Amino acid sequence: MKRALPIIAIIVVGTVVLMILGLTTGRSSGTVGIAAGSALPGFSQNASTPEQALNNFLLDMRRRNWGRAFASIERTSDTLNEQTFVQEWSGSNGGLRSFSNLEGFETRPLHATDSDAQMRVHLHWTTPVGPVQDVRDFHMVRRGDSWKVVWDENPKPNVPAQIVPVNYLRWDLVTGNSNDEWGSRNVDAPHVRIVSMNAIDSAEGAIVMGEVVNEDTIPAFVNVNAILLDGSGGTIDEESSFDKILHVLLPKQVTPYRIDFPRVSLSKVKNVRMDVKATLVPASSDPVIGVMNQKIDTDAQGHPSLHGELFNQSGETVNIPHVIASFYDNNGKVVWVSDGYVEKALLPQSTEAFALEIPQSLAGKVQNFHVVVNQYSLQPS
Amino acid sequence: MFQTAQTELVLIPSAIRRRTVGLAALALLMFSGLSVFAADSAPQVTLSVAKVGPREVEPLTQRSVVRDYKFAWTNLDLALQSNSTGLMNGLFVGPASAWLSDEVKGQKQNGISSRYSNQIHKLDAVFYAPEGDVIELHDTAEYDLEILDGSKAIHAEHAVVHYIVLMTPGADRWVIRQLQSVPQF
Amino acid sequence: MSWSINIVCSHRRPIRWGTKILLVFAFVALGLAQDANLHAPEAPVAGSPAAIGTEGSGSATLYLVGPSSAVKHDIELGKSVSLSAQELQSAGRYVATICSSKCNSVTFFVAPAKPANVTFLVHPSRAPVAPNDAVSGVALAFDEFHNLVLTPIAVQFQLTAKGSALMSRNAETRDGIAWFRTSSGRSAGPLQVTAFLSGDVIARRIVQQVASDPCSLRIKGQKTAKGIVVETEPVRDCSGNPVPDGTVVTFTAKSGNQTSSVDAPVKQDVARATILAKGPVVISAASGVAMGNEVRIGGGN
Repeated sequence: MKRALPIIAIIVVGTVVLMILGLTTGRSSGTVGIAAGSALPGFSQNASTPEQALNNFLLDMRRRNWGRAFASIERTSDTLNEQTFVQEWSGSNGGLRSFSNLEGFETRPLHATDSDAQMRVHLHWTTPVGPVQDVRDFHMVRRGDSWKVVWDENPKPNVPAQIVPVNYLRWDLVTGNSNDEWGSRNVDAPHVRIVSMNAIDSAEGAIVMGEVVNEDTIPAFVNVNAILLDGSGGTIDEESSFDKILHVLLPKQVTPYRIDFPRVSLSKVKNVRMDVKATLVPASSDPVIGVMNQKIDTDAQGHPSLHGELFNQSGETVNIPHVIASFYDNNGKVVWVSDGYVEKALLPQSTEAFALEIPQSLAGKVQNFHVVVNQYSLQPS
Repeated sequence: MFQTAQTELVLIPSAIRRRTVGLAALALLMFSGLSVFAADSAPQVTLSVAKVGPREVEPLTQRSVVRDYKFAWTNLDLALQSNSTGLMNGLFVGPASAWLSDEVKGQKQNGISSRYSNQIHKLDAVFYAPEGDVIELHDTAEYDLEILDGSKAIHAEHAVVHYIVLMTPGADRWVIRQLQSVPQF
Repeated sequence: MSWSINIVCSHRRPIRWGTKILLVFAFVALGLAQDANLHAPEAPVAGSPAAIGTEGSGSATLYLVGPSSAVKHDIELGKSVSLSAQELQSAGRYVATICSSKCNSVTFFVAPAKPANVTFLVHPSRAPVAPNDAVSGVALAFDEFHNLVLTPIAVQFQLTAKGSALMSRNAETRDGIAWFRTSSGRSAGPLQVTAFLSGDVIARRIVQQVASDPCSLRIKGQKTAKGIVVETEPVRDCSGNPVPDGTVVTFTAKSGNQTSSVDAPVKQDVARATILAKGPVVISAASGVAMGNEVRIGGGN
C-alpha cells in the first residue's frame, strides 16, 4: 500500500497536467474544418485570411457563440438583429434545423482578391431524420486587417395577421370494441393500388420504385413492401418504402414510392413480389401545400436537380416539410424517385425553397416529374 | 364305472411354447380393446375445391387453408392432451376457440385428457364467400381417439367423424371459427 | 432345449394351448362387448336436458366429453343419468363413458336448437354507385348457443335506400349459409341491407354508396393579389353524384419551363387552389382518371 500511494499520486497528477495541456494547447484532430495552432482548437485569433475568418465564424456558429458570430459579420440589411440572425441559422418554429447540429464543415475558396472572396462550404448536419449535407456559398470582404462574412440573408417579410378559416374535411376513426359480433364491424380497409413498378441497379444497390394510388373515398395509411426473389423462388431480401412515400393518401391521391436494397444486385433477382398495405387512419385534408416554380436545373456544384418552392396555403405551420418527387421518361415510366427534407418550417401563407438531386446518369432521360409534399406538424391538425 | 380326472404332467418344448404365448398375447391385445397406436405423425389434410362456389378458391388460398387447418388440428390435439389453451396459437377464434377452451377447462378440472392420433382429414370446400371472408368446409375426419382419466384409458376408438368447418382469414393465416361435428353431411 | 410343464385333463385328450388361449380372450371380448350397459339419449337438442340410460348395479363413474365440455360424475348403475342443458349446449359429437370394473362407451350427436341469431357479412362497406354486382352479403344462421343451424331455413334479403326498397330476394340456407349479390343504387348515400330469418331474427348492415370516379372536370381561374386562384366547377361522377369531400384534384400550371402543382382536396363539391406563377400560365386539372379543361391566364406579375 505504501508503495502504491506514490504511484497513484503520480498517475493522478500526470492526468491533470495532460488535461490542462490538452484543453489549452495542441490540435484537435479528426474534425474537418477546424484549423490548427490556435488558442481554442481550430480558432484563429487573427482572421487575416478569408479561410481563417470563415473558419472562426463557423466554429462560433457550431458552438453557438451567437454574440461573437454576430459581431463578426457584415450586415447588408439594417433590419437584421442578433435574434433574427440566430433564428435564420439555427431554425425556428419547430423546423428541422431547430433539432439539428452542425457536425462539421469543409471550406474551399471559389475566388479571392485582396478585398473580396467567395468561399464554398460543405456543411454536415446531424438531424433527427439522419445526416444532411448542405452546400452554401459565403461572400467575404476585407475590412481593415481582418475579413468578415457578408450576411446577406434578408429576413422574410412577416405575413400580415389574418383569419384563415379551416373547414377542410377531417376523418375520424371509431374502432368499436372487441365484443362486437362477427360481421358487425363492417368497415373495409381502403382500396389502394400499385400503378407502376420499376427496378433499377445503382451504385448502392438495387432500387424498386413506382407509384401508388388511393382508389377509395377515405384516407389510407399506405406502406409498400417488396421482396426480391432469386431463380428458385427463395427470398434474397425484403424491404419497405420507409419514408420514401407519402404515407397518408387522401382519396384519389397518387404518391411515388422507393424501396432501396443496399448491396443487392439486380443480376441475382428473378422476380419482385410487391405488397401494398393500407389501413384506416384518422386524417385531415389540411394543410394544402402547393409546389411552385418547379424546374430542373443544375445546382452550384453542377449536379442536376429539381428546384422549386413550397407554398403553404393553409393557416397552420408545417414544421418539417418532406418533398418526394417522381421523375418520368418520355413513355411516362418512373425512372427515379427522390426525396428531401426542408430544413425550415413552412409558415402559413408562406413559401420555402427546396431542391432535390437527380442522378447524373438519369438526368437525360427525365421528361416530366410530379412532386408531393409530406408534412410533419408538432401540433395535430 | 366312471373315469376320474387325473392330472398328468406333459412336457412341451419351449420353442413351441414361446410361439403360442406370442400368438395369445397378440390375440388378447386385439380383443382387449386397447389399441396399440402407431407412433404419432402430423395430421394428413387434403382439400378438394371441385364443388365450391360462388367464388373459386385461389391456389395460394388452398395451400394456406390446408396448412393452417393441419396446424390447427395439431394444436387441438396438443391442447387436449396437455390441457393447456396456450398451445392453440391463435388458430381458433369465436365459438371454436370458446368451445375448445371450455373443453380444456373441463378436462383439467376433472383430471381427463384426450388424444387424437393418426389424423386424416379429407376437406371439401362447399362455400367460399364472394369477398373471400369466409369459407365453409366439410371435413371427413378419421382418427384414433383416446380419452384418459389420469393415466387410465377409459375410451379408445378409431372414429370417422364429419365436421362442418367455418374458416375466416386472419392477419396472416386462416383461422377456424366453427368446428361442429354432424352425423352426416 | 428347455422344457416347460403343463397340466392337462386325464382322458388323455390334451387341450392344446391354442384352444385355451382362444377361450380366454373369448371371455374377455364378451365382457368388453357389453354396450348394452349404456343407452344414448334420444335425439338430444342443444340447450335442452337429456338422459343416459344405464344397466347393471352398483356405483360407477360417468364421463361425458363433448365439443365444449368434459365432465365426470359418480353415478348409480341401473338408473337414468340426467345431463343438464349446460352440459349439452354445443352441438356435435359426445362420448359418454361409464366405468366400474370396466369401461363402456356410447357416442351420440346433439343437434342445434332453433335459429336465434344471424351473422350477416356484407361487402363492401363503401360501394361506388351503379356498378353491377357491387354489393354481396352472406347470412349464417346460428342458435342461441352459437351452433350453426344446418337445416334449411328461409332467408329474405332486402336493400333499401332513402326509405324505398331497391331489392328483395328470397333464399334458403344450405349447410347453414345463404348469400346474395346485387348492384348498388344510382344515388350516393347510405344503403340499408337487411337479412330476415324465419321468425323475428333480423340483422341490418349499412353500405355507404359513394360517387364513382369524377366524370368531367371543368376549371376556371383568375388572377388575384395573392396569385392565380383556380377552382373547379362542382365535381361529379357520371351519374351526377357529387364526389366525396376530400377527393384530391391535382392542378398543374405550366409557365415557360417552370411547373407548379397543387393537390387540393374537394370541399363542398369544389376544389380550389392558389398558384404563384409569373408570366403567361396554362393550368389544367386531373382527378383519378378524369382530366379537366385547360385554362390560359395571361402574363404579368
